[in-house]
Amino acid sequence: MRLDVNDHAYELHCEVGTTLAEALRDELSLTGTKIACGEGHCGACTVLVDGAPVLSCITLAHAVGDAKVTTIEGLREHPMLRSFVRADALQCGFCTPGQVVSAVALVEARPEPTTEEIRHAMAGNLCRCGAYPKIEEAIRTWRD
Amino acid sequence: MELRQASDTTVDGVPIHGGTEVVPLLRAGLLRAETLVDIRGVVSRGVADGRIGAGVPLAEIECDPQVPEVLREACRLAASPQLRNMGSLGGNLLQATRCWYWRLNWPCRLHDGDECFAREGEHREHAIFANDFCASAHPSDVAAALLALDATLTTSRRELPLAGLYRLPTDDDRRTTTLDPGELILDVRYDKPDASVYLKAMERKRWAFPLVGVAAVRRGATTRVALAGVAPIPWLLDGFESAAPLPRNAYKVDVAKALVKRATAAVAG
Ligand SMILES: Cc1cc2nc3c(=O)[nH]c(=O)nc-3n(C[C@H](O)[C@H](O)[C@H](O)COP(=O)(O)OP(=O)(O)OC[C@H]3O[C@@H](n4cnc5c(N)ncnc54)[C@H](O)[C@@H]3O)c2cc1C
Ligand code: SF4
Ligand code: FES
Ligand code: FES
Repeated sequence: MRLDVNDHAYELHCEVGTTLAEALRDELSLTGTKIACGEGHCGACTVLVDGAPVLSCITLAHAVGDAKVTTIEGLREHPMLRSFVRADALQCGFCTPGQVVSAVALVEARPEPTTEEIRHAMAGNLCRCGAYPKIEEAIRTWRD
Repeated sequence: MELRQASDTTVDGVPIHGGTEVVPLLRAGLLRAETLVDIRGVVSRGVADGRIGAGVPLAEIECDPQVPEVLREACRLAASPQLRNMGSLGGNLLQATRCWYWRLNWPCRLHDGDECFAREGEHREHAIFANDFCASAHPSDVAAALLALDATLTTSRRELPLAGLYRLPTDDDRRTTTLDPGELILDVRYDKPDASVYLKAMERKRWAFPLVGVAAVRRGATTRVALAGVAPIPWLLDGFESAAPLPRNAYKVDVAKALVKRATAAVAG
């Protein structure tokens, strides 16, 4: 099968039933995408599929087809990354790749989101360390 | 296991759309499939006045101004943004119970066993109506909204009112839906309401299943009210006399009464 990840076409072999998160991490060594709950509850595994945030831990790799996948590795140059560092929007950092991916999708659609819009769009990314206020700040100030 | 693309609406295997329910169930061993059939190519993704394709993701319904308030709000308050991008309307109507005994594969009545562990055990989130055989609480906000709208479903084989999609499980037949194997939901139709609203009580402010969801729809002088999270199937409200709360979920009766009062006031003409 093929996967288009971060504008690179990969050829890989995995069994039907393999999730996109497993394919990214175990087959392509793109380990920036994290698996925490593995069942759709926490958002740690968020990636973009054709620009929309989805949960790679419950997406079948074989169902992705020709869609374009963007992982945290593909967002290295995005100002949102620096904004998270500047705002100190993390503690342990495990949820951070997923947070950044969701945040990027939000500001690409709405460059100046309101607090309500931020909370609505980020509701699917849980942070056990409770860095929420700083995450909000990072998103509010991403272009500074 | 193999994954096939459906070429038409006759499917031989387990249909998968967004997979938000199918994939976790497969991984937990609660669903077994030799063949998964990806139905995204054969189920409509269109929204027109009074008709929504079963393949439309909740994220699109949530912000489409043609869609009545009750259904938009039910979608907006369902699940998380990522799940709403992935999850389809049809798949939402067919989601399985969130009862933890069932999800942990305890041999309960819904798994063809002879006991309901929730009735004696942990049932704070469980049903207050029709809960004597199985006390699971139907988790779909969307189904409650469509039940209040008195929507009609078109499947690959028939037309039926939304209420006809669901059945209470019994000793002889443990299913909670009437859909046959291989039958696909294709779209949902409804008449435009004069006013409608969806209110949802949850454990936290966002991103949680409904403890109680209340959908109210008014057309002329008639208001129809349907509830999520209170019975094993989406529940058309016909008073609270038949409520039979369990020791630890009587609070749901109070919550439901309060939300019904607010919802009916909100749609009053
Ligand atoms: C963690 C979590 C939280 C959630 N919270 C909520 C919530 O608060 N409120 C709420 O309402 N929902 C909630 N959901 C449910 C979510 O909205 C559904 O899982 C989603 O909409 C299902 O759509 P899907 O396309 O992913 O379905 P799939 O997983 O692809 O399919 C689900 C089921 O429907 C069948 N199927 C799918 N489409 C069709 C069709 N067109 N015809 C016939 N059969 C079909 C499949 O065979 C399967 O049995 C939650 C889900 C998760 C995982
Ligand atoms: S409530 Fe239903 S699903 Fe849960 S344990 Fe009882 S019979 Fe099983
Ligand atoms: S790891 Fe995918 S949602 Fe938690
Ligand atoms: S920074 Fe630790 S979980 Fe979010």
